[in-house]
Amino acid sequence: MNRVVQTTAEDYRIAWLTALAITIHILESALPSPLPGFKPGLANVIVIVVLVSYGWRAAAWVSLLRVLVGSLLAGTFLSPTFLLSLSGALASVLILALASALSRWLPRWGAGPLGYSVLAAMAHMAGQFAVAYAVFIPHAALLNLLPILMCAALIFGMLSGMIAAAMISRITTRS
Amino acid sequence: MNYKRGDILVMIMALSLVAALFATLWGDSRRGEEVRILAGDKQLALVSLSGHREIRVDGPLGTSTLEIDNGRIRFADSPCANKVCVHDGWASRGGEVVACLPNRVSVAILGGEYRFDAINF
Repeated sequence: MNRVVQTTAEDYRIAWLTALAITIHILESALPSPLPGFKPGLANVIVIVVLVSYGWRAAAWVSLLRVLVGSLLAGTFLSPTFLLSLSGALASVLILALASALSRWLPRWGAGPLGYSVLAAMAHMAGQFAVAYAVFIPHAALLNLLPILMCAALIFGMLSGMIAAAMISRITTRS
Repeated sequence: MNYKRGDILVMIMALSLVAALFATLWGDSRRGEEVRILAGDKQLALVSLSGHREIRVDGPLGTSTLEIDNGRIRFADSPCANKVCVHDGWASRGGEVVACLPNRVSVAILGGEYRFDAINF
């Protein structure tokens, strides 16, 4: 039996956008960080742009492929770092599913890039933290870090949300 | 850039979540629940730190007055000369001790999360 894998235009689009997200992710991992595992998460800008422009399915693909390929390139595949990254990405993809469904259901109260980005960043941090706490360091002292981490997630989420909003408005005015 | 109503909603929720996290996780989790009162080397009582009341404890010099006020305790009055115990002020955390050595009265707070494993003077 011979099956030919058909690629669609959407596959190509997802591949291109994922490549962009991975590039940003790798560049960002070269930046020094004040705290281990503490990153602005600028690759999420791409996820948000994809979510707003092409819908949740494409955004989920880009987000999860970014984690997979990013870890292969950085050499952290299946390591604790990878597990944390994956759990964060899963949490943010899930909350984005919820938020975009709600936005479709109640369009008047729908969120834009900023809201999506803040939600994704906070969910990413919360998911990562939950796994870190449950699997790696189940100590009450870790909880003292949670407010700072969530505060940072909020700030970086806002930042990438603004970048995503600016990107989207440029894309839509050009095309 | 124009932001939607949902964005504002998300921002409000996110800010209140962060504020709530700071309040609950950075709040005073080390508060004690009970206090042990000693007179000499005898344990006089184990009392709850809730509510407001005064407790009088007799020692060799006279009567020390302890005041409990919603989770904290202090020496309100003491017959001793230096009044170190009174000047120590309120104690509320698990493991904290206030003592009046001349009158041989001391209080030690139990429960909560101890800030130190041991203290050596």
